[in-house]
Amino acid sequence: MKKSLRQRPKSNLLLYLFVITALVLSAWYGRTRSGPDIWPHLQKIFPEAASFSVSDGVFVVQDERGGLLGWAANGSANGYAGPLQLLVGIDSTGTVSGTSVIEHRETPVFWRMVRFPVFFSEIAGSSFEEINYRYEEVVGVTGATRSSDAIVASVRKAVARVAGEQFDVTIPLPLPPWEFGFFEIAIMVLLAGAVASLYLRRPVQKAWRWASQAFALIVVGFWENSPITLTKLTGFLAGYFPEIRANLAIYLLVVGFVLTVLLFGRSLYCSHLCPFGAIQRFINLIGGKRIRLPVWSLNLMPRMRDLIVFCAVVTALAIAQPGLAHYEPFAALFALKGGMLQWFLLLIVLLLSLVLDRPWCHYMCPMRTGERVLQDIRGTITGPKGEQHA
Amino acid sequence: MSFFMSGFFWFLEGALFCIFILAVRAWAEDRSIPMPYWKWISLIVWVFFVGFTLAFIGTSFGEGEPAAAIRGGILFGVIAIISGVGLWRLLKIGNIPGEEEFATATEE
Repeated sequence: MKKSLRQRPKSNLLLYLFVITALVLSAWYGRTRSGPDIWPHLQKIFPEAASFSVSDGVFVVQDERGGLLGWAANGSANGYAGPLQLLVGIDSTGTVSGTSVIEHRETPVFWRMVRFPVFFSEIAGSSFEEINYRYEEVVGVTGATRSSDAIVASVRKAVARVAGEQFDVTIPLPLPPWEFGFFEIAIMVLLAGAVASLYLRRPVQKAWRWASQAFALIVVGFWENSPITLTKLTGFLAGYFPEIRANLAIYLLVVGFVLTVLLFGRSLYCSHLCPFGAIQRFINLIGGKRIRLPVWSLNLMPRMRDLIVFCAVVTALAIAQPGLAHYEPFAALFALKGGMLQWFLLLIVLLLSLVLDRPWCHYMCPMRTGERVLQDIRGTITGPKGEQHA
Repeated sequence: MSFFMSGFFWFLEGALFCIFILAVRAWAEDRSIPMPYWKWISLIVWVFFVGFTLAFIGTSFGEGEPAAAIRGGILFGVIAIISGVGLWRLLKIGNIPGEEEFATATEE
């Protein structure tokens, strides 16, 4: 029987205290370190700029003789892995002079997909009225929708600020519409089905799990490419919560993961909804073998995984870049995007899946670390009785 | 003209393909494994897929795109290996257990 935190030796408690302290300190450091210098961005937008002053959150930019060149304001919105900040310059006639990305926390491979140079060159020279109609250039970049949406929202906010402060023009900032469609319904049905299957007979449970995973592989994996990633979880830990109306699916998956571990003692997301777990299961079915690894490696590998996850999260929090915590090969498989590390991990994991039972899930997945932490929390809350039930 | 662009390369490739097919036939006969048409079709499709994977890697390198060669090689290579393992298991369907041992014992 698994021991709860209460029953475990003091060293475990100390380990948790150390981990929590390190996470809090790194998050605090990441939050409080000084922001980027705004001057190079102002010079990029207004090459003749010699000085600037700040008035009601708007930068007033002047040339060498003190003449007004224009105004600039920054706009911020949450992207995939945290806030994205842009600076938008408006000249004295009320047209957009240029834009510059101050900082972003997106996963590099997806950030490169966003065609922001094209979009930015398009909106340069637009008036306030025109700018609302030029968003199609960047909206909905396949595979980088969240980053694209954040760019659009940031530009809109920055323009609205200058328009309101300097020109008395009100630019509406509508909330994004609720994204509630087939994908969100599918997630809810799969989660509900996974919970219901716990109360069914074992063969039915097994059949449901196979069906659920096959569906998740297609929908959550290849169609939406939305498995839970370390980037998302680190973003949540850092306090970067994406707009719920446009990211309902992420919330459903994360809440489903946390709740099922706390309520049932195991992650039903991992067993029923994770597309990467599904593909490993299917490959193992093709391979038809399950090699038993030596006990020492079974003990060592999860510890190595926990250590890697800890280092990745602490580093990402300290530099306030959740996107850098990303090492999973999900995007390489489902969106054919990833660095060399992800591609080689994908190769190794898929080949090992022929002879091992879900090697990524057991030995490398950061979700497993999260599951273990949540299981300990559950054990501490419910005590030995609850754990016996799980 | 490079070796890969020459007719001799294609002659060698055709010869190797014929030898491979003959070897599979002999292997199946030795083990009394029935080889219906769907097994042959799957096998030929797989061989062409492996050829495509090698060609993809080679031509990508040749075009000066090593990243594409590595990524494509990993993706198609993994698919080729996994489908190869599946095909191997499928090919053995219909094998009569003990038949091979019996044949060896009789020969001795």
